[in-house]
Order: sequence, then structure tokens, then C-alpha cells
Amino acid sequence: MIENLKKTFESFNKKFISWPNNNRDKFFNKFMKMGFPNNKIEDWKFSNFNNFVSKNFKSLNTNFENLTSFKFDKYVNSFDHNKIIFINGEFKDKNFGNEEKEKFVCSDIKSFGEHLRLTIEDECENSLNLLNNAFYLDGLSLIIEKEYEFKKPLIIYNVFKTKKENNFFNQKIKIKVGENSKIDILLLNINLGSEPIFLNIYNNISLKKDAIVKLYSSSDLGEKDIFYNFNSVDVLNNSIFENFIFSNSANFYKNEIKCSLNEKYSSSFINGAIFSQNEQTHEIKSRIEHNDENTKSYQKIKSVLDKKSKSVFQGKIFVSSKAQKTDGYQLSKAILLDKESEFDSKPELEIYADDVKCSHGSTSGNLDEDAIFYLMSRGLSEFEAKKLLIKGFLNDAVETITNNEIRKYFSSKIESKINEYR
Amino acid sequence: MLNIHNLSAKIDKKSILNGLSLKIKPGEVHAIMGPNGSGKSTLANILSGKKGYDISGKVSYENNDLFNLAIEERAHKGLFLAFQYPLEIPGVNTSNFLKTSLNAIRKSKGQKELDALEFLKIVKKKASELKIDEKILNRQLNVGFSGGEKKKNEILQMSLIEPKMAILDETDSGLDIDALKIVAKGVNALRGKERSFLIITHYQRLLDYIKPDFVHVLMNGKIAKSGCMELAEELEKTGYEKI
Ligand SMILES: Nc1ncnc2c1ncn2[C@@H]1O[C@H](COP(=O)(O)OP(=O)(O)OP(=O)(O)O)[C@@H](O)[C@H]1O
Ligand SMILES: [Mg+2]
Repeated sequence: MIENLKKTFESFNKKFISWPNNNRDKFFNKFMKMGFPNNKIEDWKFSNFNNFVSKNFKSLNTNFENLTSFKFDKYVNSFDHNKIIFINGEFKDKNFGNEEKEKFVCSDIKSFGEHLRLTIEDECENSLNLLNNAFYLDGLSLIIEKEYEFKKPLIIYNVFKTKKENNFFNQKIKIKVGENSKIDILLLNINLGSEPIFLNIYNNISLKKDAIVKLYSSSDLGEKDIFYNFNSVDVLNNSIFENFIFSNSANFYKNEIKCSLNEKYSSSFINGAIFSQNEQTHEIKSRIEHNDENTKSYQKIKSVLDKKSKSVFQGKIFVSSKAQKTDGYQLSKAILLDKESEFDSKPELEIYADDVKCSHGSTSGNLDEDAIFYLMSRGLSEFEAKKLLIKGFLNDAVETITNNEIRKYFSSKIESKINEYR
Repeated sequence: MLNIHNLSAKIDKKSILNGLSLKIKPGEVHAIMGPNGSGKSTLANILSGKKGYDISGKVSYENNDLFNLAIEERAHKGLFLAFQYPLEIPGVNTSNFLKTSLNAIRKSKGQKELDALEFLKIVKKKASELKIDEKILNRQLNVGFSGGEKKKNEILQMSLIEPKMAILDETDSGLDIDALKIVAKGVNALRGKERSFLIITHYQRLLDYIKPDFVHVLMNGKIAKSGCMELAEELEKTGYEKI
């Protein structure tokens, strides 16, 4: 696999050596030294990523220049929204309705790549980030001026329908939000095709003071797809970052987030619902850094596992010595519906300040038999009762979503996933 | 309607019911009293189908062998239990649950399922009859409900479902005097030739409003004494020791 990837890289690099990133081989060579993550690495200790790659892919290929384009029109219709559309990794379209266009700059990365140059030092220990640096060609850059609140949420449709020669996609999303500005974003990753894809997205989000970013993510990927999503988030004075992930598709999905609360009164809310089935592995890993006084973080992850699946929550709250009066909360709860599924949780606190309030908790178990009895005694079949309880359990995480339209979207999405569940 | 014959039940080899027999005919209201831990809730749970008991004996319900019916089938056939301790179910909207339950039962009877609007109309009417604050309909099922609100929510379900055989397990415990009257009114409103009730209680007060046809004392795992309202009055004075 690695040898084949090298070939893929070499021919890729010839074509795109300077566009927009001229350090590709540096990143790739560093990746080659590390290889794909394996379970000897602490951050990956619950799943051997290598196996997922070799199980689902004969080879990884990128073929950016002969993209097969297709029409996508299955837009979310339950609420009005701004749109950005990626087709097979390429920025295709945007529509910002009647937002004030002079308040923000939204562009692809192909034509506007320069300011995206990365500092490698930052993410150099993460081989999938290195791979992203080596292979990315397109993505989104959204820069919002100060004092602008978007009227409508933005949905980023990241849609795929592809062939074997083109199954490896690396994208970057960079969002900078100015002082006192606000945006709500829903990122939808959709694989319409039957060929498996390996999707590797790097998100970089920064909030100036008094800004609010709500980032929600949901995917409809195939049963052999691999999806790695890395978020690096910087939050300044009095800003709020809210994040919600619903994870239910792809063979392997890992959502990793590093969120730095760098100035006073900044806060982050990172919540998620996982419903894993059919030998899927779904992981959420977070690292919240409290780097200044009076910062607050809240995390709630609810997982339901069935049919030999696995889900993992690795959550770390780091509190620097400067970050007095930190308020950190983390809770992970899982329900296992079969004996062959596995839930792993590794909550961690690393605290260097003395006046802090931090708590974490993790539980896993089965559905409550007494609750099933109660519901059945009211005429529901056992299966209906279970489905209602699962929905209720996951809804508890959905309730954290503060955008009403998007909360309803996730609530009905989860409901329909549970209705499909057999 | 319900014919319990020589019912015994054990949990973990501990005997709880011990040859209990009781016959309830259509239209009758029976009350069961008995000391704490005598097995009243166990009886109610077994009748509604709760698992985990080692059971012997026979129970027939409307000419069916009750033990051959699944939990939800019993509900479909009109058996209803108002729980002594209604469960809190986080994340499940009360109104949604009530609708799902009512429609499951309607469907089993071949009746048309109610749509959201039709249901809302009915549930609002019933809630106001029971003086239930409509707001609780939009809360998570029983979560954070006061003791009385939980009990009233059970009665609301009973009045929506209109069961044939309703078992009320200490529904009166924890109710204030006004609520007690409302619950009694709810029961009396449903009373009819075809409907029977089994009312488990510790207090004569509810029975004063409902006026059961029979009162039984459950002790040592069986019916130790049966009578009518006078028995309840006597128990109120003398307690269980003399029985
Ligand atoms: N799951 C169980 N495991 C062990 N013992 C049990 C279990 N359920 C009930 N019991 C025991 O069975 C006996 C009868 O309990 P039950 O709840 O039926 O009493 P009750 O008559 O309803 O009492 P109360 O008036 O306090 O409600 C009690 O001694 C109780 O501790
Ligand atoms: Mg009891």
C-alpha cells in the first residue's frame, strides 16, 4: 500500500508541484517515515488504522485533472441556507443569497492558495495531516470581516461519486471569523457512488474576540469509506465555538479536534452522537486546551453500538498554569446493543492550575430493561421500545445544538436512521 | 375478565406470591391492600408481563392464557398497569410517546392511527380534564416530573387508552387531596359494564371516592381476607396485625 502510494504521489507531484503548495515532497517524505498510524501510537491505540486502509483499498489514487463531474441537487430543503458545493473534492459552486458580500471573502483554494501556507511544525506528529499537506489541491477559504452576523446558516455539500482511479481526497477548510461576527456551518460529506473513498479533511478555524462559530457535521458515506477529519480551532477573548458531530456512516471515521481557548472567557462546546453498526469503527478524539483564565469547555458524547461495531472517545482537557477558574466538563455515555460491539473511552485531565472546576465521566451499558418493560406495557413491541430508547439516548446530545433549524435537521436525521435500523 | 388461580412467584428462590387466587368479573372494581413488601407490585408486574420471576399457577384473561401473551399483546388486549414508580425516560418526548403508545394499541385493534393534530386535540382535552399542566406534554417522559405529576401522567395514559382491565399500583400515594379526587373521577368516568379495575392502595381515602366492589388483603403471598368497603375501614383502624 505504502509503495503504491509513493507512485501515486510521484506522478501527482510532477503535475502539481507548485500549485498552490510547493512543499509537497517534504511533507510526503516525512509521512513515509511515519507511515499510516498504527495502534502503537497512543492517539490511535484503539484501532489499527493500517488495517482499514488495506482492507478497503487496493490502491489509493488521485486523478484530479480528469474529474468526472455530475449534477448534485439533493439539497437540504427543511430550511433556507447558503451553499457551497464541492464535487469530487473540487470547489464547484457557492451561493450566498442576500448576505452582504463585502463582509466576507469566500473562495476555493486552487486560485487563492497563497495565504494558506501551513506551518508544518504545528501538526508534524500527525501522519494523516502530513498526507493532507502533501496531497491537498482544493478546499475552502472563508474570511469574515468583523461585525458581521450571517443571516442564514451555510451548508457545505462535499459530494463524491467517483471511480477507482480517483479515490483519495485531501481537502482543507480554512475559516477566519472577525471580531463580533457569527456564522453557523453544516458540513455534509456525501458519497453517492459505490466506489470506496478515503477522505482526509483538515479544518482550521480561528475566532477573533466576541465571535461565534457553530460547526456541525454529518456524513452519508459508503460502507467501505474511510474518513479522517481533523479540526484545529483557536478561540480568542469571549468567543464561543460550538461543535456537533453525528457519526453513523463510513467503515472508519475519526473526528479529531484540537481546540485552544487562548483568551479569557472563551468557550467551546463539543458534542456528538455516534450510532455505529456493521463492523464500523467510529472515533472522536478531542484535546481542549485551556490557556487563559475563566475559560469554559463542555463535551457530551453519546454512542450507540450494534453489530460488531466499535466506538471510541478519547477526550483530554488540558489546563495550563495560567488558566485559573477553568470550567471543564466532559461526559461520554455508550449503549451496547450486542455483545460483539466494543466501546472504548479514555478521558484525561491534565491540570496545571489550582483553582479549576473539571469533571469527567464515562459509562457504558445496555438499554434499561425496566424502561423497555414500561414502554412495552404501553403497547410498543420490544423493537419499537428499543428504538424509542435509542432515539431518546442520542437526542440528549442533539439537544445541545443551539441552532434550532439545524437541531431539527439532526433530530429527524437520527430518527430516520433509527427507523431504517433493523 | 381476569382469573388468577393458585399463582406463585419467586425471585432468586425467594418466594413472594404463594398460591394466590383472585377472580375479577367484567365491570367489577377490586381493591388490594397489604403491608409493604407483601407482593402487591409483584402481582401487578407479573400480570403485565414483567420478566424475571419464577412463576407457577394459572392466569386467564378474557379466555386467553395470560402467560401466552407477550407484554405488548396484553396491552393491545386492554390490560393496563399504572406503575407505582413510573420510569423516567430521558430524551423521549412525553406527547410523542403517548401518541406512539395510543397508535400502537389502535393499530392492533384495526383502528385508524391518529395523526398529530387529531392526537393533540384528544390529549389536550384529557389533560385538562385531569388538570394536568399541558407543558409537561412537551417535556421528556417523566423526567423531573414531581411525584404527583408522574402519577397523573399514568392516569392520563389510562384515560387515553381506555383499557378493559386497569391495574393501579398505589396511584394515590403522593397525590394531594385535589389530585386524588381527580384521579378517582378519572377512574369513575371509565367505569362500565365491560371494564374492570384492580386498585392497589394503602389508604382508605381513595376507596372512599371510588367505592370498590371488593376489598382484599394480600399477606404472606396470598389473599388473606376478602370483604367489601368495611374491610378497608377496619384495616384503617386496626392495621394488618389482627388478620
Ligand atoms: N427484583 C427483586 N429482587 C429481589 N427481591 C425483590 C425484587 N422485586 C421485589 N422483591 C421483593 O419482593 C417482595 C415484594 O415486593 P413488592 O414490590 O411486590 O411489594 P409491595 O407489596 O408492592 O410493597 P409496597 O407496599 O412497599 O409497594 C419484597 O420483599 C421485595 O423486596
Ligand atoms: Mg408496591
